[in-house]
Amino acid sequence: MQGREILAEFARILSDPASVIRDDAVREPVKIIGHLMADVPEELVHAAGAHPFGIVLYDGTDLNRADAHLQTWACSPVRCAFGMALTGKLDFLDGLIVPVICDTTRTVYTLWKKVRPFNFTEAFLLPRQLYRPSARNYLLGEMGRLKARLEQFTDRRITARDLYRSIRLYNRNRALLRCLYDFHVRHPEVLGNRSVYDVIRASFLIPKEVHSDLVARLISALEQEAAGLKKKKEKPRVRVFVSGKLGEPPVLMDVLDQAGAVCVGDDLCTGSRYIAGDAAENGDPYVALADRQLDRLPAAFFANKQDRRDFMIKKVRETKANGVIFLHLKFCEPENYDYPYLEESLRAAGIPALRLETEVGNVSLGQIRTRVGAFVEMLEEGGGR
Amino acid sequence: MTAPFRSAGLLKEIMAGYYAKGEEAKARGIPVAWVTAVFPVEIIYAAGLFPYYPENFGALAAARKVAEKLSAAAEARGYYADLCGYARCGLGDAYAKEHPVGEILKPDLVLACNTQCGSLQKWFEGAGRFYRAPYFLLDAPFLEGASTALIKRYFVDQIEEMIDFIEVYTDRQFDFDRLGEVLFLANEACRLWNEILDTAALSPAPFGFFDACFHMAPIVTLRGTQAAVEYYRELKKELEERVEKKVYAVPGERFKLYWDHIPVWPRLRWFSDLFARHGALVAVSQYTHSWAHRFDLERPLESLAENYTEAFVNRGFEVRVQLKIDLMMRYGVDGFVLFSNRSCKPTSFGLYDKRRIISERTGLPGIVFEADMADQRYFAEEQIGEKFRVFFDHLKTRTGKV
Ligand code: SF4
Ligand code: SF4
Repeated sequence: MQGREILAEFARILSDPASVIRDDAVREPVKIIGHLMADVPEELVHAAGAHPFGIVLYDGTDLNRADAHLQTWACSPVRCAFGMALTGKLDFLDGLIVPVICDTTRTVYTLWKKVRPFNFTEAFLLPRQLYRPSARNYLLGEMGRLKARLEQFTDRRITARDLYRSIRLYNRNRALLRCLYDFHVRHPEVLGNRSVYDVIRASFLIPKEVHSDLVARLISALEQEAAGLKKKKEKPRVRVFVSGKLGEPPVLMDVLDQAGAVCVGDDLCTGSRYIAGDAAENGDPYVALADRQLDRLPAAFFANKQDRRDFMIKKVRETKANGVIFLHLKFCEPENYDYPYLEESLRAAGIPALRLETEVGNVSLGQIRTRVGAFVEMLEEGGGR
Repeated sequence: MTAPFRSAGLLKEIMAGYYAKGEEAKARGIPVAWVTAVFPVEIIYAAGLFPYYPENFGALAAARKVAEKLSAAAEARGYYADLCGYARCGLGDAYAKEHPVGEILKPDLVLACNTQCGSLQKWFEGAGRFYRAPYFLLDAPFLEGASTALIKRYFVDQIEEMIDFIEVYTDRQFDFDRLGEVLFLANEACRLWNEILDTAALSPAPFGFFDACFHMAPIVTLRGTQAAVEYYRELKKELEERVEKKVYAVPGERFKLYWDHIPVWPRLRWFSDLFARHGALVAVSQYTHSWAHRFDLERPLESLAENYTEAFVNRGFEVRVQLKIDLMMRYGVDGFVLFSNRSCKPTSFGLYDKRRIISERTGLPGIVFEADMADQRYFAEEQIGEKFRVFFDHLKTRTGKV
């Protein structure tokens, strides 16, 4: 298959993931357990014989459907996901896991459970300080609790072997996605921002076996395409590092493509934060999962091991990014509290930055296009250096 | 509001003493530790540090109607106006040129507990960066139902980590005997405070929610000290006298109401006048009942862990509904008012359904209104006035008390 055809297949998956899972489920009926962003241990859900489904496709038309239950000043991904559940768009799920990472997830979790429960509605109570020994012990205990709940629900014991099989499957998928991302950075003219982030998003939706297979084929198809391309004298693209909770709305990546910018790194939960770092494939599998969690890329909602400012500057330097674009979801408190410090340290390091305020399913693209265009132009001219 | 309390003079005195101690701590090199309201401050008192409450600073700025001014300085740095108003006041003060309520006391250590909210976690982390003060987060996992051994263990481990952190910082050994004394005093103050709050259940009552907001400073800041115990002994005595002399909080009290949660600080007067006009006493709120700790001196750390993770704001929907209903029943209220506070997502999200469910279960009428506890830009006076007018009409017809 040509790269283009495989990308079309990904587009089909993103337009109707439920049908793809249904097709698959016909072969082997499994329970589908949804989860909100971020950091739910999907390997554990998979090892329980269920299919973890990341709720990353937001239907903007449902943004207001939860207004009778939830204030409009809640962040849009949570409002929208809750709204989708209320309109029945998530009825194909058998269960839901909400990671409690902020006040919105903490309160909406039990509200949702009250108003529109699934057969299985659980919280994953992550430690929010990750840098002291107590966090690791607690996280191990919490994973044990989630494991027991999953076993109850799926009526199946999770053995260490099952969990290892899942860990390997997930590690392989992450490795392939990192490889694809790397290709994208080298050949943005062949695989643009929108495409690579779409492929990563699809990974939240469908079985990893299927996804990994498609990604492997995509990589080899694209490598061939790239090798066959005549070395055109293309103007080098401006390199940007993208920071935020989610790469939402996805059309923003098109805007970056059109502006002639290439994302060379990010800390998005629907981007590098998802694909970076593997779980060890030996020792205790729960320890492996816990350590992966504690070592994830620093995020606003945690007191991290590594200072997010240092991380970002290091990444910008490593990836030779010309500037940083913050995708700030309106009403996302953790991100907002971090911004002034991140901005300040970037400024001190001479790295230009742009903040875009976004919302799931509701942005005025015209304005964003103008601002991105102006920012990219400024970077092209070596601005901020 | 109620006729002035004699104790108010004493309150002024001990709070002035507290703030003077803060300045003195700075001068004498005693570390100033920023702490959050729901935080095991007993550890801080036992360690001989000076605990400072930036939330009080926010509340003060809000009550003096200058929150918007301080917030503007934070907004200019990229903080949005929809963040918690206390945080915007605290962060704004760091950048502001003018200090309309005096300057915040600069921290040497920044200690946050996230039982209440993630805003404090992030605000304090930022403050630690700004003031270059070491930051420590006590992380309280969410409790959907009953607490678990796992969570208690995690919190105790963290208190131990915090004691290590303080020992290293002060280069002094932590004194567990002193902790026992502090916990004893905290128990005393909490007991007295709750007995005082309970006088609002009398009909008519000498004391209500708005009085509690006025008199709560020592229970927040000074619990664990002798000063708080003495203050609440005095106040309790005064309330007993008032009952005898028939001096009541709302003359001609006809209704009792439940309020959730915090007051609208810049409109404290506006609301207390509104309720008084209708002969309504706001008798109780979950907010002022937050300081109802009972520490077990036999197991101090476990007991601190239980008390500080199990605060209502960290509980699941059903537990919180039940806690509200329990308070409503205990104080015999005729209706309830739920404040959807833009600043405070953890207390506000879920209120729409809570209103419905509480009414279904208790038969009590209730309303939800939207505003902000600090920021008057979000106060739509006419709309809110109208909402309350309808509410009181309804209450009067229902109860037949006109
Ligand atoms: S972290 Fe931000 S975007 Fe995510 S649920 Fe919380 S408030 Fe919403
Ligand atoms: S008002 Fe709410 S959000 Fe603000 S500090 Fe208090 S608990 Fe946190």
